[in-house]
Amino acid sequence: MPPGARTGADVAEAHIVVEGVTKRFETSSGPVLAVKDVSLAVARREFCTIIGPSGCGKSTLLAMIGGLVPPDAGTILIDGRPQPGPDPRRVALVFQDPGLLPWRTALDNIAFGLELRGVPRPDRRRIAGDLLGPLGLREFAERYPRELSGGMRQRVAIGRALALDSEIVLMDEPFGALDEQTRLLMGEWLLSVWTRARKTVVFVTHSLQEALFLSTRVVALTARPGRVKSVLDLPLPYPRDLESAELASFRAKLWGEIREESLKAMEP
Amino acid sequence: MLAPRAAIGLGVVLAWEVAARAGDPLLYVPPSRVLPALARLLALRSFPSLPEHLGLTLREILVAYVLAVGVGLAVGFVLGLWPELGRIYAPLLGALYAVPSVVWYPSLMLLFGLDAASKIAFGFLLGVYPIVVAVLAGVRQVSRELVTMARAFGAGRARVFTKVVLPSMLATLTGGLRAGLALTVVGVIVGEVLGSKAGLGYLINYAYGLLRTADYVALVLLTLGIVLAIDGAAVLAERRARRWT
Repeated sequence: MPPGARTGADVAEAHIVVEGVTKRFETSSGPVLAVKDVSLAVARREFCTIIGPSGCGKSTLLAMIGGLVPPDAGTILIDGRPQPGPDPRRVALVFQDPGLLPWRTALDNIAFGLELRGVPRPDRRRIAGDLLGPLGLREFAERYPRELSGGMRQRVAIGRALALDSEIVLMDEPFGALDEQTRLLMGEWLLSVWTRARKTVVFVTHSLQEALFLSTRVVALTARPGRVKSVLDLPLPYPRDLESAELASFRAKLWGEIREESLKAMEP
Repeated sequence: MLAPRAAIGLGVVLAWEVAARAGDPLLYVPPSRVLPALARLLALRSFPSLPEHLGLTLREILVAYVLAVGVGLAVGFVLGLWPELGRIYAPLLGALYAVPSVVWYPSLMLLFGLDAASKIAFGFLLGVYPIVVAVLAGVRQVSRELVTMARAFGAGRARVFTKVVLPSMLATLTGGLRAGLALTVVGVIVGEVLGSKAGLGYLINYAYGLLRTADYVALVLLTLGIVLAIDGAAVLAERRARRWT
């Protein structure tokens, strides 16, 4: 694929367009090119997963889409408009670290974004309260983060993003810190939420399993500097059986793309 | 918890009584002579102008503390939130603090005279440092992840500060404010003892100079009571602040 070529959904109908985006960071040992000339388009209501070896710049890419970090070159358009900074009305974020405020209860953490938006207290508590059921946190509204398990904390963080009711949710390895079993269950839970709410999701992970289980499309990045290596469409129904022959062939294909890059990433 | 405290207090008083009775009555004052002196003091018979002196000392403490809090928070946050400045100037503060602070006092008296101003300056000088240090330590405690999260959810600089930075550092900050208050009290009273014409420290020095030892000890006890009351108020304020988050 020629560098800079658009990949993925047709740009005209795309919800998110990333075009020719490059980002370098200054470190103590000189500048590091994290993302190089990445272009991709994400369609409305798509579950797009970005996968790649550690340090390939996938989190940086997500932070740029979220408006947290400005790109050095290239443009990012959401609904055809550039995004100069974080815009929680359009884009909600979930991080690998749940990032809950330890002095707030689960309910008040979920309501945090609404509070910043200026929603009056009774309204935001009602909206957050309505989310507790689907989050499986009904009994835990008044608990503090330290009293919750890792999976629950991450669900609070996801609830905080969903409470914004934005059309786009960006998730940066949200289950990366969880154990394997919790991770699988959280994936199932996330799918059930996503099929109901049908938001545009961009999901960063380094787990093949997670990518295959969740996504309508997988974008594989190369080792640092991250470039788009390949795009894989997964037109399969949910829920998916990870043991199925169809998924196994996708898995082999995706692993073929990523293996080489992961090896490169391991070299000193 | 109270019983063992009372026991050790009683033990100290008894030992004091026994030891003091054995010595020169002009220099060694047993508690049995201090209590009547304290009663005379509080009945304003020893020092009829005690409320004036006390009021002056408390005003000096208040002014010094307000200045210490204002300057301490300002310097701490400027150095803490602009790390480039902090890297340059914070080490200077550490070096200055290593100098025994009492060596500054003569120059403060030369600059500000014998009246309240030099006591306020000394109380300020002692009180401001723990506040600056607490702010610097507190700012370092704030998690970058939480700041990024708040930005992503729409918080600008001001609300990142009020919703994330301030609550994150509250325990450290209130600890520093309390330590600063204690040291401000020390600075003002030490300043009065070292050279002044009025105030609690002046009375202490006066009673001591005239060998009115029982009055002197009674004044020290009174000072202790005031310091405990001020620290008690600070503890209450600290608890309230914790609930606020």
